[in-house]
Amino acid sequence: MIRYIQESRLEELFRILSRRGPLYLPLAEGPSLSFRPWSEGAPVDLKTVNSTVSAKEIFLPREEAYFCYRRAGRELALEPLEQEAANAVAFGLRACDLRGLEMLDRVFKDQDPPDGLYLRRREQTAIVALACAEPAPYCFCSLFGIDPARAGGADLQAWWHGEGLCLKALTAAGEELLSSAGELLHEGPAGAEEPPRVETGNFGLKLEGLPAGLRERFDDPVWEELYRSCLGCGACTYICPTCYCFDLEDFGHQEKGERYRCWDSCMFREFTLMAGGHNPRPTRKERVRNRFLHKLQYYPERYGEIACTGCGRCLRSCPVDLNIVQVIRALGGESR
Amino acid sequence: MAQDNLNRDQATARIRAAVTQDLLSGRISLLLGWQKGLFWWRSRPLFARSQQDLERLVWDSFCAVNLSRYLPEELSIEERVGILVKGCDARAFHRLLQDRMLDRERVLLYGLPCPGMLDYRLLAEAGVKEAEQMLEEGEELVIQTGGGEERRPRTDFLLEKCRLCPHPDPVVYDQLLLPPGEPWMDPASRFQDLEARERPTPAERYAYWSGELQRCLSCYACRQVCPACSCRECFAEQQEPRWLGKGAGLNENMLFHIIRVYHGAGRCIECGECQRACPVGIPLLELSRRLAKDIEELYGPYEAGMDPEAPPPLLTYRPEDPAAFPEK
Ligand code: SF4
Ligand code: SF4
Ligand code: SF4
Ligand code: SF4
Repeated sequence: MIRYIQESRLEELFRILSRRGPLYLPLAEGPSLSFRPWSEGAPVDLKTVNSTVSAKEIFLPREEAYFCYRRAGRELALEPLEQEAANAVAFGLRACDLRGLEMLDRVFKDQDPPDGLYLRRREQTAIVALACAEPAPYCFCSLFGIDPARAGGADLQAWWHGEGLCLKALTAAGEELLSSAGELLHEGPAGAEEPPRVETGNFGLKLEGLPAGLRERFDDPVWEELYRSCLGCGACTYICPTCYCFDLEDFGHQEKGERYRCWDSCMFREFTLMAGGHNPRPTRKERVRNRFLHKLQYYPERYGEIACTGCGRCLRSCPVDLNIVQVIRALGGESR
Repeated sequence: MAQDNLNRDQATARIRAAVTQDLLSGRISLLLGWQKGLFWWRSRPLFARSQQDLERLVWDSFCAVNLSRYLPEELSIEERVGILVKGCDARAFHRLLQDRMLDRERVLLYGLPCPGMLDYRLLAEAGVKEAEQMLEEGEELVIQTGGGEERRPRTDFLLEKCRLCPHPDPVVYDQLLLPPGEPWMDPASRFQDLEARERPTPAERYAYWSGELQRCLSCYACRQVCPACSCRECFAEQQEPRWLGKGAGLNENMLFHIIRVYHGAGRCIECGECQRACPVGIPLLELSRRLAKDIEELYGPYEAGMDPEAPPPLLTYRPEDPAAFPEK
């Protein structure tokens, strides 16, 4: 059954949902848009397609602590850290965000043993997907078979209709979210049983031949050209929904401190710098190649799917306009 | 700004002709310019080594990327590099020259008076979705939307770095390829907007900047793109000793940015590339310009990157400089 809520009453819905635990929503921060815990009066933006930083940060935060350590004499004590409240809701994820989560799931969740921190966030978070009414010029998720109006793996699918949101539960957790909203929701309007179909462009790309052909192209001269303009920043990896590299660090001193993990980027020189000074990826050429081969070859070889969702974030944010579309084209993946 | 009677296609053709000659004759082995990017509102760096490469060269309203940043590395490979320089690329060149990052003799500078580069975000807000909806007529932009035709001053749509730029004409070149233009910002009043937005108390400043800096991703695009950031190893990544944690907290972000801008005080050429590069839109140019303003107030008029013989105020000592340390 489709339920409906007026846009003007969304604030009330957020109030209810946030009683269960943290409610993540795309919030405006200056010109940028990121998923953050909602609080009263927060600048929610459910219209802009899509968030500047992908929704991965709900599940794989920029920084997350494992434990505290404390040392007294010869005794070392490890204390688990206060866990963030359970029953979170992530609201307003796009279909490409969900595809990105699928990719992270294979790496962190569907492993033996799974990654505890990721698993906890994943299992305790209900997901409300929001259909894209109008894709951004950067969007090309259709290339990867994504339907922007039907997200896989969500608990609830939402889409704009008139002056409000239609809501359709896809799982029991989704049903529960709907029933918790009670009176706020009305019966869905007639003729709005399904979100309207949407398709994005694909920049004339085709994916045949990727990744199989790439094995032979490790030393292709194309990399020589592609890397030149790259500045070696981490922008593209940090905003990308399918980049998941992290580093482990301690914060504190010998007696007391915290061990945490935080995002890291293969575009940084230090990423592969080893003790003793050797660096197997000594220049930006090797680093750029690694980033894109990871998306187009290494990940698909291991997990069967190209690690790009077509979210367009690297198209939008790279300061020198070097992006996955340019790379796929340079590798010959163009149909025109 | 008067690009006279040359439209952009004609200007591009003229530039191409000039540099083709030099590339084919071997006077330069590489040309740094711009080519069309993925979208009509973006142009990306071009590294041209052949006539065929040069066919992709463009000079349009989206050539914002500061090319001088690439010079030190390219000069480690190439014998003699040609480069197209706008106002900010030229000042960046001076920055690098003064920091002894490059060899003047091995660079050939083609000067391009800059009309200011346009910001897609502002265009899109005004309803421009396709290139065809926008026509540049001198200092005006003619916009076609569903509602009809609208004429707006071009300066309404400039990137912030360009809107605030007092020197759009290159301050150094070997050859000027286009006629000089008319600046739209008076250098003497270039800090007026900052005065209008003064935050008088430390508490206000702290509140404002923590609000902005808490979303910093530590991606370091601002540093990588900066012509004044020339350390071989940045303190941010130094392992021994470790100055900065890798985490994403406000403390780390603040420390990084405080050191970054202080390192640029009196050296920053105000090209605004940091701000343009920042994926999360932190107003980094304001941070740098606040320091530039302080430098002027403390040490007298100074604009970095204008004159390579004028040493940055913090790298010189004059007896009349204000005392840095309070008396005991
Ligand atoms: S591709 Fe672009 S965003 Fe990524 S590291 Fe290079 S310059 Fe930065
Ligand atoms: S590579 Fe680019 S388009 Fe693909 S998922 Fe990552 S940020 Fe999105
Ligand atoms: S890439 Fe597809 S799913 Fe993602 S925001 Fe764009 S249209 Fe929506
Ligand atoms: S570019 Fe922006 S997000 Fe990246 S380090 Fe600089 S201020 Fe932070």
